Amino acid sequence: MSAPMFSRIQETLGPLAACRISTDTRMDIETSPERLLPAVTAFRALNWGFLSAITGLDTLGAAASQPGAVAPPAAGATPGASPAPSDGHVDVLYHFCQGPSIATFRVRVPREHPSVPSIGAVVPSAVLFERELSEMLGVEVAGLPKGKRQFLSDDWPQGVHPLRKDFSIEAATPVADSAPAVGSDEAPGTFIVPIGPQHPALKEPGHFEFAVDGEIVTGASVRLGYVHRGIEKGAEDRSWVQALYLVERICGICSHIHATAYTLGVEALAGMVVPPRAQAIRTIVCELERIHSHLLWLGVAAHEAGFDTLFMYSWRDRETVMDLLEQLTGNRVNYSVNLLGGVKYDIDAAAADSIRRGLDFLEGRSKHYLKIVTTDESFLRRTRNVGTISREKSERLGTVGPTARASGVTIDLRAAAPYAAYGEFPITPVVDKRCDQEARFVVRVKELFECFRLIRQILDRMPPGDLSLPAPRKVAEGEVISRVEAPRGELFYYLRSTGGVKPDRVKVRTPSLCNWAAVVNVVVGQKLADVPVILAGIDPCFSCNDRSLTLRRRGRAGSESVEAWSWEDLRAHGLRYYGGGRT
Amino acid sequence: MSDVKLPGAFRKALDRVALWSRINSPWLVHFNSGSCNGCDIEILATLAPRWDLERFGVKLWGSPRHADVLICTGPVTRLARERLVRVYEQMPAPKFVVAVGSCGITGGVFHGCYNIVGDIGEVIPVDVYVPGCPPRPEAIIDGVVQLLTKLKPPKAKRVARAARGGGTNATSGGGGTNATSGGGGTNATFGGGGTNATSGGGGAA
Repeated sequence: MSAPMFSRIQETLGPLAACRISTDTRMDIETSPERLLPAVTAFRALNWGFLSAITGLDTLGAAASQPGAVAPPAAGATPGASPAPSDGHVDVLYHFCQGPSIATFRVRVPREHPSVPSIGAVVPSAVLFERELSEMLGVEVAGLPKGKRQFLSDDWPQGVHPLRKDFSIEAATPVADSAPAVGSDEAPGTFIVPIGPQHPALKEPGHFEFAVDGEIVTGASVRLGYVHRGIEKGAEDRSWVQALYLVERICGICSHIHATAYTLGVEALAGMVVPPRAQAIRTIVCELERIHSHLLWLGVAAHEAGFDTLFMYSWRDRETVMDLLEQLTGNRVNYSVNLLGGVKYDIDAAAADSIRRGLDFLEGRSKHYLKIVTTDESFLRRTRNVGTISREKSERLGTVGPTARASGVTIDLRAAAPYAAYGEFPITPVVDKRCDQEARFVVRVKELFECFRLIRQILDRMPPGDLSLPAPRKVAEGEVISRVEAPRGELFYYLRSTGGVKPDRVKVRTPSLCNWAAVVNVVVGQKLADVPVILAGIDPCFSCNDRSLTLRRRGRAGSESVEAWSWEDLRAHGLRYYGGGRT
Repeated sequence: MSDVKLPGAFRKALDRVALWSRINSPWLVHFNSGSCNGCDIEILATLAPRWDLERFGVKLWGSPRHADVLICTGPVTRLARERLVRVYEQMPAPKFVVAVGSCGITGGVFHGCYNIVGDIGEVIPVDVYVPGCPPRPEAIIDGVVQLLTKLKPPKAKRVARAARGGGTNATSGGGGTNATSGGGGTNATFGGGGTNATSGGGGAA
């Protein structure tokens, strides 16, 4: 379906890059660092897709692969050609996705002093991925604004990059003052409100700095990386099966979807055709997880808006779905349903009945919640026209998932590129055009109804058959991209095998990372008191986000530059600021 | 409070009131030093209506300066280490630490990853470990209860006995509190312990 589009890309980029259509959904565009920027600029002019991820590969010591070795295609994952043989390069892969199709720009740079130009001017959302690339693989990104470290700690030695193949943990001994010196880009006299990393608003550590002028936020920056554990490198040291349990613990809220993305990818690489019953069970658990995640979010977001009653109610009702998950799998969180080649647990008639009963209860409650989030007057004052992200901005900043759908962007991989059992049991994406915080509530609650409908449909037409296939210990050489729709948006996995018992590269790009740019952008100009609600609006997940970033965005420059104000000055300013009100 | 010079008996009585209130209404502060979120949402679930930890007087509070117990989750990452120590140091003494989850005990599945310093016990002293990946809410409640029972029994008995020297009958009523301290860590015993301690405290006042 994308072949005509691929030919058009080929025609446009012909003089700048060597295009190769490897499967009907994958296209490789090989180019050089010098030609990358013109090629991406020409490509963007076609208005095709969005930048999903940037993957860096260190090919040191990789076994020479046969060019053109293509892993067989499988549902949900899109295999492509193996990279060409090499000994010691860094490959930088820019993945642009549109529906099920992926166009990958490949740039090869030497391991010594690798450098690529920044494409941030053409694709604003690239900046975060480029920061990650420069830190983890030591690829210099020319033109990238200087910034603090993203996910490595400040005592991390310079010139040591954990995703290089010759990295050793001994080289990473803490060094004092090794963080790159960064001058503050805030105007002198700007008042900064620091929040975190230990703070009551979210249960996860993230450090924010908001520059404020009175109550209005004029700039925002975020330093994450408190939960960076080094999972991508850790996966390279584990076998294919062990890595499954590691990626499942990237995030405790959406553990199953991480495991699903990984298993779908590995199964595509190994050429396994998983029994339909296993895929159906995976899908049911995916949707149960989405219900639990959305109810959890509903509570937390309501809590941020000062509506603790809704928090308590939604968390009470969430226990219903937690009970169902526990009944199916034996654990409330980290259910470990997936195996390479299938699932562990069956859903029998009794379990199906209790799921149906649970869903009936939750459906009634969700109707109530939909009514609350759209009619409660005091709640609407915290959500309506707050944190508006226009459709254009949403597309430009590359948001995904419910955040994008609440801005009127129809982007849902379950519909656009069905994986697991979503092919046989299609869903309808829930889209809302209001673009504000209220829309984010409405989209997530309405998605619950879609989850209920889908689960009931699968239970009614559950395919018979086996639950799993034996998985090979070694996985055939090749690379694969596996994309799934997590509760927070598109989750992107890039897996590469050199034919061994361990993965050669596991690259994870989580949905929260895509949405950060939007949130840091949108808080500028809003009231400080609305910031927690807006932050919660994208449902940020720090542990998912374990690759993290520093963003600095400047709004209006700090106009006042008085260094120290007496109480009288402050009061006078307050009166002026609020238009000479009394008090 | 310890800076102020107080007459001995009054000081002891105050200490006993403080211990009584600490056991009956411990305030928790939560810090995630690199967890996958699984334990954190279970801690929140413990506070939500089904388990409702607050009915025991437990309150999750945002500021470490007001907290008695630090609930930690996850392995300790290099960046979070310094903050974890800082949060711990900001808490007023006496302070206690409950490490929730397998990662807090050994580093769990992340053991050996390059950005992991180690388990929580390597960074700050831990009083109670709650194992599980993640532990169930009942287990988390049990962990907190075990901590409280650890605070209560023999030490309080000795304090009470010492206080009895110059004390009245009312004070020995406070000693009656200790009779319940042998109880296990179940919810019922916790509630029961709370009630008895209250009556003891009432006697002391």
